[in-house]
Amino acid sequence: MAKSSYSKIDEYGFERPDNFNYEVYDSFMSKYIRVLTRRSLRWNTIKEGHYTKNNTLKRFIRKGIPSDRRVAVWMATSGADRLRNESPLTYQDLRKKVNNKALIETIQIDLPRTFPDNIYFTSHEYLPQQLFNVLATFSHQNTEVGYCQGLNYIAGLLLLATKSEEASFWLLKVLVEQLLPKYYIPSMSGLLTDLDVLNALIQKQEPILHRHIQNIGMPWALGTTKWFICLYSEVLPTETVLRIWDCLFNEGSKVLLRVAITLIKLHKQKILETTELSELIACFRDMRSHEGVIDCHQFMKDVFTLPGSFSSNSLDKLRIKHQK
Amino acid sequence: MANRTGTAQRPNGSTQGKICQFKLVLLGESAVGKSSLVLRFVKGQFHEYQESTIGAAFLTQTVCLDDTTVKFEIWDTAGQERYHSLAPMYYRGAQAAIVVYDITNQDTFGRAKTWVKELQRQASPTIVIALAGNKQDLANKRMVEFEEAQTYADENGLLFMETSAKTAMNVNDIFLAIAKKLPKNEQATAQGGSGQGRRLAEGDTGAKAAGNCCK
Repeated sequence: MAKSSYSKIDEYGFERPDNFNYEVYDSFMSKYIRVLTRRSLRWNTIKEGHYTKNNTLKRFIRKGIPSDRRVAVWMATSGADRLRNESPLTYQDLRKKVNNKALIETIQIDLPRTFPDNIYFTSHEYLPQQLFNVLATFSHQNTEVGYCQGLNYIAGLLLLATKSEEASFWLLKVLVEQLLPKYYIPSMSGLLTDLDVLNALIQKQEPILHRHIQNIGMPWALGTTKWFICLYSEVLPTETVLRIWDCLFNEGSKVLLRVAITLIKLHKQKILETTELSELIACFRDMRSHEGVIDCHQFMKDVFTLPGSFSSNSLDKLRIKHQK
Repeated sequence: MANRTGTAQRPNGSTQGKICQFKLVLLGESAVGKSSLVLRFVKGQFHEYQESTIGAAFLTQTVCLDDTTVKFEIWDTAGQERYHSLAPMYYRGAQAAIVVYDITNQDTFGRAKTWVKELQRQASPTIVIALAGNKQDLANKRMVEFEEAQTYADENGLLFMETSAKTAMNVNDIFLAIAKKLPKNEQATAQGGSGQGRRLAEGDTGAKAAGNCCK
């Protein structure tokens, strides 16, 4: 195999997995760089700072936000800008309210356990400090949620992607308080509901696959809790995760279920070939290495086609039906 | 889960001994070292900063006891209190559990007792429970006395060891002690699936004699 021009570390400081397929990645990137250039030119037709939600913007976002515009588009489309502008207290004011000793200790324990292999987190002391500030400020101002493990990975990736502590805070706040179901409250009821919703959707769309997984005896929660809680960070390649987040901030949490169904459909054959629990779980764990997942551009096309159409309305109904 | 029974055959037809498969779950407060114990047992590795487990992880490892090969299916769970609602689906049907606390933190010992109570009430009545006082390498910062934990374990019929995932102290030993205590034939317990390990035909396991296992 020819030596890859890509390093073992991705541009966000994450080590690529041992079984990373550089050949596939090389051939994907040679195409994707042209896509990025083309998309960047197309985005020039949208004036910076003028991100009114409409179908054109939605189409543009589904094809990927250029990285230099990402923070601004995320802030505008998610409602984080509005939250910040309407808040009587600034982020700096909120940060000063951090004083709960037990909460501080809980968060501190998780700081070195967040992305311990990421070179930016291990080599820059300011990043764990910023991570602490974002998590502690968030959990003090939202006492219903407080601190839930998993938020550390989201805040961590927000910091790496936005390079702004303040933007990371508002984006985390809008995610947890407005865009996502109640995944992180102490009962985790929103998570339990979405695990059941995913189960029901797979049962309907892929009954044979569903029965196979059931026969092997894998609880859905084992394979997929992290998908919902970490919003695919720590699960899929970083570029793919950020492309998912582009749509998550603009369109809401439905895309998380679309991604879950797409992942399972892309792995249908492989899942059906497994005969025991350890193989099946390994299959779920290694989904990040699938060619169709590394190619984030094709993957996002699949996300909006493979699961078929399901309206927000029908998702709302399913969530009510499976409410915990 | 159906009981599959089998006696492994060597190529020449002689009997090699039984292969038993058991489901084992790890429970305990966040950051006491559950994932580190598993990583040490399964891969012989230790990371000073182990990523926090979200949801649960699954690994397998095999140990040999006399003529029996014991394959552990290990379910490693998230420790934070709010992930508690997911725990029953992981300890359901488990034949063994390791409840872990951190010897430098009294609160984690209290939480371990809560887990033991819950298992005694909710899990299979024949479940083998081991209590692990982890981070023994930090004994100079000890907040839970060995004798206190030993007394509690004796009163509740638990296996007990202090362990260190960092130095590997007692890590294999605690899994071996559990393997010894688990029933390895159908007659030993009533009703398969709850207290009974599955006996497998050789071809079923894919198990390789690994690390600490007999060759």
